[in-house]
Amino acid sequence: VDEDAHPSAYRPLPRIDTLVRGATVLDGAGARHEGADLLLRDGKVAALGRDLAAPGGAAVIEAAGAWVTPGLIDPHCHLGNFPAPFTNQDLKTLDVNEDTDPNTADVLADHSVTVQDPSFSRALAGGVTTVHVLPGSSNLFGGQPVVLKNVPATTVQGMRFPGAARGLKLSSGENPKRVYGEKGRGPSSRMGSVAAMRQYWLKARAYEQARAADKPADRDLKLDALAAALRGEMKVHIHAYRADDMGAMLEVAAEFGFRIAAFHHATEAYKIPERLAEAGVGAVVWSDWWGFKAEAYDAIRENAAFADAGGVQVCLHSDSWLTGQHLALEAGKAMAAGQKAGLAIAPEQAIAWVTLNPARLLGLDAMIGSLEAGKNADVVIWSGDPLSVYAKAQTVFLDGAVVFDRAAGGRRPLGDFELGQPAAARRP
Amino acid sequence: MSSDRRIALIGAELHGAADSRSIANATVVIEDGRIAAVGSGLPPPAGARVIDAAGKVATPGLMNAGTHLGLVEIGAIADSSDQVDKEAGLGAGFDVRYALNANSTLLPLARADGLTRALTYPGPTAKTPFSGLAAILRLSEGPDILDKPAAALIAAIGLAGTDLAEASRAARWILLRRGLDEAKAETPAKAPLADVISGVTPLAIVAAREGDVRQAVALGSDYGVRVVVLGGAEAWRAADVLAKHDVAVILNPFDDLPASYDEIGACAEAAAILHQAGVRIAFSVPGIHFSHDAGAALREAAGLAVAAGLSWADALAALTTGPAKIFGIDDRYGMIAEGLDADLVIWDGDPLEPSSRPTTVFVRGLEASLATRQSLLAQRYHPRRRDDPWPPAYR
Repeated sequence: VDEDAHPSAYRPLPRIDTLVRGATVLDGAGARHEGADLLLRDGKVAALGRDLAAPGGAAVIEAAGAWVTPGLIDPHCHLGNFPAPFTNQDLKTLDVNEDTDPNTADVLADHSVTVQDPSFSRALAGGVTTVHVLPGSSNLFGGQPVVLKNVPATTVQGMRFPGAARGLKLSSGENPKRVYGEKGRGPSSRMGSVAAMRQYWLKARAYEQARAADKPADRDLKLDALAAALRGEMKVHIHAYRADDMGAMLEVAAEFGFRIAAFHHATEAYKIPERLAEAGVGAVVWSDWWGFKAEAYDAIRENAAFADAGGVQVCLHSDSWLTGQHLALEAGKAMAAGQKAGLAIAPEQAIAWVTLNPARLLGLDAMIGSLEAGKNADVVIWSGDPLSVYAKAQTVFLDGAVVFDRAAGGRRPLGDFELGQPAAARRP
Repeated sequence: MSSDRRIALIGAELHGAADSRSIANATVVIEDGRIAAVGSGLPPPAGARVIDAAGKVATPGLMNAGTHLGLVEIGAIADSSDQVDKEAGLGAGFDVRYALNANSTLLPLARADGLTRALTYPGPTAKTPFSGLAAILRLSEGPDILDKPAAALIAAIGLAGTDLAEASRAARWILLRRGLDEAKAETPAKAPLADVISGVTPLAIVAAREGDVRQAVALGSDYGVRVVVLGGAEAWRAADVLAKHDVAVILNPFDDLPASYDEIGACAEAAAILHQAGVRIAFSVPGIHFSHDAGAALREAAGLAVAAGLSWADALAALTTGPAKIFGIDDRYGMIAEGLDADLVIWDGDPLEPSSRPTTVFVRGLEASLATRQSLLAQRYHPRRRDDPWPPAYR
């Protein structure tokens, strides 16, 4: 894979050093700090502690009563590739799926991103600073997700997270067999899906062996991606709801020797936490979605808490432009379900489900996900407990720049689509 | 299920009493399924089963003003979905009351989340704007869940983003008006349109775009019928005219972005703006949680409306008295007040926080089980059972 073919053109926005004073801080790494000061310097977290001094020229934000968290990370969304407004034309040719072949490992989610999707700015207003945009789930090999900084840009190159490794999205269960079964071709069953996947992996293994033996075959973009996954250079993300499907995917991964980074949606992770923990596979889940399709019928609200208790690395995701605006609340709901089932989970642990854990999942935890010194200054100041329905992100920093400010007259992005729309005018 | 004839709840922080009042240290006496007395510090009557709710919040059972409850089990499976008349072309004559599944697993979950009433309504079809008749459910245990049939006639205009959107909305408005004209010309007029024209049954019009909302108000005036706007993402832009003509809006407080070309003006503050203008509001949450989390998502939606400027008491009213008045069941439901059905919920926290849950739910005076298929799955797979050598199917 030629990584230089898809570079990032992201540049941090103008920033000044900032001292946030006296807040309740959930640091993302599992601790809660009362009355803490947070110093942001040169776009990085410089210090978190008590009675920090503001360097010369630094802005000071008095934040007593407010809460502070790292910028939230949505590990599974379709911002930009399932853009608003949705239209009847999108029913047939939505940019989220290239549903012309069960294997489209060659497509890059980035190339479907509409940067003017208003959902980006709504998610930012909900404190989301990093998003993992995935291709949809029509195909066995759906393509390559992309990690974006949630910063307004005129093309996607300006949003790509510098240094983020690429991933590969696979899908099991109902969707591929429905899409291709209805087209009158394969797969039309779960067993057909697994067999087809194995055939592709076999081909990729031969392709990789030839390359390693210095006798490379003609270059094939799909096999490039699968071979990179076999080499461990691409994180494998698999859409799977049922324990049955996760079991089958674990078997395929063992057969071909690749690691699955996470099962996405994973509504039945709670049924097999020990197997996921043993294989080092994360679970990217909702707090309460269920029943919209057969494979989601057994979803329970304790899923995240039970999987977490079983040693699984848990992330909450949105998969939706609405849920993605309330990602911290998702963590709050999942925490409450666990607490009511008798598990001891504190807010400082639950917030990791939308901060440090997704950072680890994406391999970016050296840069984001917690407020440890040296990490990027992606920070949210909340009006109150971020796990409450009433909390609002007041100020959002990305690499130390204020990219969202709810205060009257504060800096807030408005995408081109919404500009000059009479229907949207006169909003408070 | 408890069959106690007389129950007294004591010590509760009660919200949603008569005139939307809150009462500290409230006693609520339930007799034969109805509220017999409400007051601060009243002694429980002799022989009553006493429930100590000291320090807990109590409210009326909540009402979701738009769902497919009882009509759907699994969203993507047509076998288990009866909300749309896809074949028969019955139009206004379609009536969901005949399809209600009291054994749907969605109902106990909604109830365990504090819902005791819900409007369930038919979905749109391509050929006619008339979707059919909606019904109000009461979420009691057992087969008797139909509270009020023909609670509204549903007409769908705005269909942006669906495969029904090919035809012009103008044609749908003309067909809707023609249907009303024909019913007026008939003697005697046939139900259900006769009941719409006489004002017995409200006409709930699914519309999001501002222009459609204004058309709905105009249609109500032209025909003298009682119109309700269902959806109304841009209704806030017509708040004054809605208030002037007493047209209520059932909206989704989650809606805050241009999800379709009918909703360019959607905004989080819509509920607060409409209420401020004097428009009666109620809530419904179309989307993934529409019916499957009809209780929890409704409360979350109300909480979001509060975060966007609606007062807490007005948000609770939008979950109780608002829909009760819109659909004409306020003679029996909507408040904790003497003579009304005892739909009562005791909560473990703030009911508008989705993380809170009911600890006790009464529907018409009967205490309902809070067990759900999900709660049983959670018990079966609880981490404390991890070392059980037998498969979960034996638990």
